[in-house]
Amino acid sequence: MLFKAMLFKATLFKAMIFKAKFDTALITLLLFLGLAALCSAPAVGGPYAAAQTGASQESWQKEFDEICAQTEDAMTFSQAELADLIRRCDNLKPRIEKSDESRRKVYLERLRKCRGLYAYVLDAKKLDAQKLDAQKLDAQKLDAQKKEKK
Amino acid sequence: MHKSSMRKSSMRKRKRRNERERRLLTLTCGILLLAYLASAQIYLPPHAPEPSEYGKVILNHYSAAEPGAVVFDHWLHRSKFTCRVCHVDVGFAMEANATGINAQTNREGFHCGACHDGKKMFDGKTIFAACSAAPRDQRCDRCHSLGKKGVRKYEYKEFTARFPKGIYGVNWERAEETGIIKPVDFVEGLSVSIPKMKNRKDLSVEAAFPWVHPIDFSHEKHSVWNGCELCHPEIFPTAEKGTLQFSMFSNIEGHYCGACHGKVAFPLNNCQACHARAPVWVP
Repeated sequence: MLFKAMLFKATLFKAMIFKAKFDTALITLLLFLGLAALCSAPAVGGPYAAAQTGASQESWQKEFDEICAQTEDAMTFSQAELADLIRRCDNLKPRIEKSDESRRKVYLERLRKCRGLYAYVLDAKKLDAQKLDAQKLDAQKLDAQKKEKK
Repeated sequence: MHKSSMRKSSMRKRKRRNERERRLLTLTCGILLLAYLASAQIYLPPHAPEPSEYGKVILNHYSAAEPGAVVFDHWLHRSKFTCRVCHVDVGFAMEANATGINAQTNREGFHCGACHDGKKMFDGKTIFAACSAAPRDQRCDRCHSLGKKGVRKYEYKEFTARFPKGIYGVNWERAEETGIIKPVDFVEGLSVSIPKMKNRKDLSVEAAFPWVHPIDFSHEKHSVWNGCELCHPEIFPTAEKGTLQFSMFSNIEGHYCGACHGKVAFPLNNCQACHARAPVWVP
């Protein structure tokens, strides 16, 4: 009776060890397959990679359209708005740089023009603000001089 | 006797002195006049080529040998499209061979291929595909036409026959105003829908010399053809009035107004087109 119980325990132990080994092997295999799939998909290309490129292009394209559709209104923006548009242009540049050669060639040139205009208008606005400040200062000085005379 | 000879000799001396002074005065005046003329820098506008040749661009960066250099006529394309759509949206540089156009970019729907894709329509006609994958045939010669006779579809004289003429070739501004041409400002798949600018401020540019009439610059007229980003900041880099010291000489060299005028837009010898208050004079 005791021998039978001991045999049963040994068999159970062996089965448990086997199950544990099997589980470990299965998990390792699944992890390996998953890793292999992750690594090979972008390298090989195919629909997965294309979908990923397409999605990223779509996202920067939307951002590009949003930024560069406002060039004709540039004069109506405040300095803060213009600075924000310039910052968005700078953030967009590295994303466009990752796209294919032809697209990169065309869109980087367009982005350069777009950013250049916003920077130009921002400079103009800063100059105008400086002039306005100087005029205000002159007016204040004149007022002070008049008061002193009185 | 002695007295009279003395008087005569003194008169002679005075006469000689007067003559010397007159000569010196003439010489000084002459030198001053020459110095003034030299500093004034007399401007003589260059002669523009024939209107059919004006604005012709030879693209031979990649295709000089085979299938041959491309001849691009501005007069043909500007009757259909604004400058902005090609030089901003499509991304053509303002100098020949600076864009990096090649068969691949065209096939992928960029540069010439943005319109010339064999699918897009214009005036009810399908626009032929540029650099298609088909084997080389006479279709290539429509663009790669340098030195080839009879390969081009449109000739300047016939094509512009119905357009209003100005002092120099077609008056494009009038053609646009009267609706004879309706330049398209949007290319499907590339252009971004941009609302047209309102309240465009016109300005008067004072000339460097008092006898030259000022330029009445119209932002409105220019923005029909160009967007803001075509001129600013690349061609006119500063917004502060009076800081740009440009002259007709810099224009001739292709800077400022000369980036377009003298190359594609009306030439620099059409003085009254810019100095509108000046009397008509065509050198």
